[in-house]
Amino acid sequence: MIRLTGIARTFLVGGEEVHALRAVDLEIARGEYLSIMGPSGSGKSTLLNIIGLLDRPNAGTYELDARDVTALSDDELARVRREKIGFVFQFFHLVPRLTALQNIELPMVLAGIDPAERKRRLARLLAEYGLEGRAGHRPDQLSGGQCQRVAIARAMSMGPTVILADEPTGNLDRHTGQEVLNVLEQVHHNGGTVVIVTHDPEIGARSHRRLRVLDGAVVSDERD
Amino acid sequence: MRLSDLLEFAWRVVRGAPGRALLTLLAMGIGVAAVVLVTSLGEGARLYVASQFGSLGTNLIIVLPGRSETAGAMPGVLVGKTSRDLTLEDALALKSSHAVRRLAPLIVGAGDIRVGARNREVPVLGSTAELMDIRSMEMARGHFLPAGDPRNSQPVCVLGAKVASEMFGSNAALGEWVRVGDRRFRVIGIMARQGESLGTNTDEIVIVPLAAAQALFNTEALFRVLVEAKSREQIADAKADAEEIIRLRHEGERDVTVITQDAVLATFDRILRALTLAVGSLAAISLAVAGILIMNVMLIAVTQRRREIGLLKALGATGQQIRLAFFTEAVLLALGGAIVGLIAGELGRSIVVQMYPAIPFQAPWWALLAAPATAVVTAVLFTVAPARRAAMLDPVQALSRR
Ligand SMILES: Nc1ncnc2c1ncn2[C@@H]1O[C@H](COP(=O)(O)OP(=O)(O)OP(=O)(O)O)[C@@H](O)[C@H]1O
Ligand SMILES: [Mg+2]
Repeated sequence: MIRLTGIARTFLVGGEEVHALRAVDLEIARGEYLSIMGPSGSGKSTLLNIIGLLDRPNAGTYELDARDVTALSDDELARVRREKIGFVFQFFHLVPRLTALQNIELPMVLAGIDPAERKRRLARLLAEYGLEGRAGHRPDQLSGGQCQRVAIARAMSMGPTVILADEPTGNLDRHTGQEVLNVLEQVHHNGGTVVIVTHDPEIGARSHRRLRVLDGAVVSDERD
Repeated sequence: MRLSDLLEFAWRVVRGAPGRALLTLLAMGIGVAAVVLVTSLGEGARLYVASQFGSLGTNLIIVLPGRSETAGAMPGVLVGKTSRDLTLEDALALKSSHAVRRLAPLIVGAGDIRVGARNREVPVLGSTAELMDIRSMEMARGHFLPAGDPRNSQPVCVLGAKVASEMFGSNAALGEWVRVGDRRFRVIGIMARQGESLGTNTDEIVIVPLAAAQALFNTEALFRVLVEAKSREQIADAKADAEEIIRLRHEGERDVTVITQDAVLATFDRILRALTLAVGSLAAISLAVAGILIMNVMLIAVTQRRREIGLLKALGATGQQIRLAFFTEAVLLALGGAIVGLIAGELGRSIVVQMYPAIPFQAPWWALLAAPATAVVTAVLFTVAPARRAAMLDPVQALSRR
């Protein structure tokens, strides 16, 4: 489903090349529950951004659902992202002036889905992520855990191929972090593909496949 | 993205930053109001001049003694010397033109009017019965000068409304005798109040038969002849006829000037239209200033909303959608500003109308369209750069910074 071959990403910082990723090969199958761990600056986020089509590699090829997406234009990438990728961020990234419901609706609005269909999906998403009582609340009226549940519901609204979560519990206390992790695992149980970047070994241990990244290279790839 | 969703999204952005919205609304509003107000003043002046000329009479041609050096000059700026007097016989000869409906020779002078002990100096106008129709004058009481051969003098006069009230107070003036200069006249009519019309105030004059004025001022020379053409189309014919008839009577010399009200009015009209357009355009410059303000506000918004823009991209928004969101916001602000401006301009106009009720201040239709259109166009133009910047934002960087 996801196949990276020889993916490299370098940044130019003050005239010097920083190798964030060096020739990464990676295959992810449908329904996998995968964690990416590694020290700070090792390239975890960069890898996730490339999988999520937010960033482009300098070298290598990327196949998503058997389609080469390496050379697509920005607008084509945006459309693929809209249909197939669901992002969950450490800092939630909800639009503060919009209610929980409107935040969840945003990808469907951008995709131009008709309002009746949006309404049906929203009702299902709110129920599924336990947000029924919070639909009309703005992000500043929600707890961190609720914010992240809204973000996950938003990521799921278009029925994506893969959910990419970059340190989704990094900004939450332990208990709330567990709760959010349970929600992500629920997505996995329902057949979704989940990729989590984390510093927390406990979360890593709960996943079914563990990638270790060091200095821009995948150094270990364990499965249960 | 659907249009309704786009509008709703932009509307929420505008509502989410009321201070910013208010500032742009104000700037746009001032610009639009300035255009509306300034063009109202210009258009009001134009309509006022037109109505003043209209009150002189319709299809009017004026024959003046003396040849002006410059064609189409205005009555006040005539140069050149009078070589030959314009006489009553000249005036009556103009009636032979098939394009002339009627005419009124005029003699103007100053005379003392006396009733008992009251005495004042007034402009005295000598003319004929047809003056009333040519100048569209109205009587408050009595009759105008009697028709008949203008060479014969009857001792009657018509008083302006103000002269009548000053000389007779609340007493009835009709039928009374007044003395003008060394002659006595019976008051046969009092004119309705008309007010000022191109410098002559008919409320303050005394009108006597032409022959009486000739005797009073001891002159045969006419001040001018007012000629009314049969129709608007025949003004040119009447003018040509008048010039030709007088030339033949004056042994082939072109020693009179014939001006048409239309030509003078057209000149004023052109000048005032151009002036209105010019000041309107100047006022529109304030819209450009508002545009620059919108651009700055939008640029700041792009910086402030970096994370949101990055997020939208991560959620699958194309560059086109981001640009469109900014343009929609700008158009909403501009339209809001235009409405505020139109209302404020209209308020300002009604205040000016209260102060000068005689002048028909009103914004010309083109200004009412051009002002909001300019507001929207400048807003869109000045949003191009910020919208482009937003669309090109790198989502990874936009999202990574806290
Ligand atoms: N936009 C950028 N410009 C320059 N250098 C960058 C950029 N993004 C990442 N890098 C560099 O690439 C390397 C990998 O960064 P990345 O963010 O992927 O690390 P990470 O594993 O996610 O670290 P952390 O655990 O701290 O989030 C780092 O050395 C970083 O400084
Ligand atoms: Mg990271």
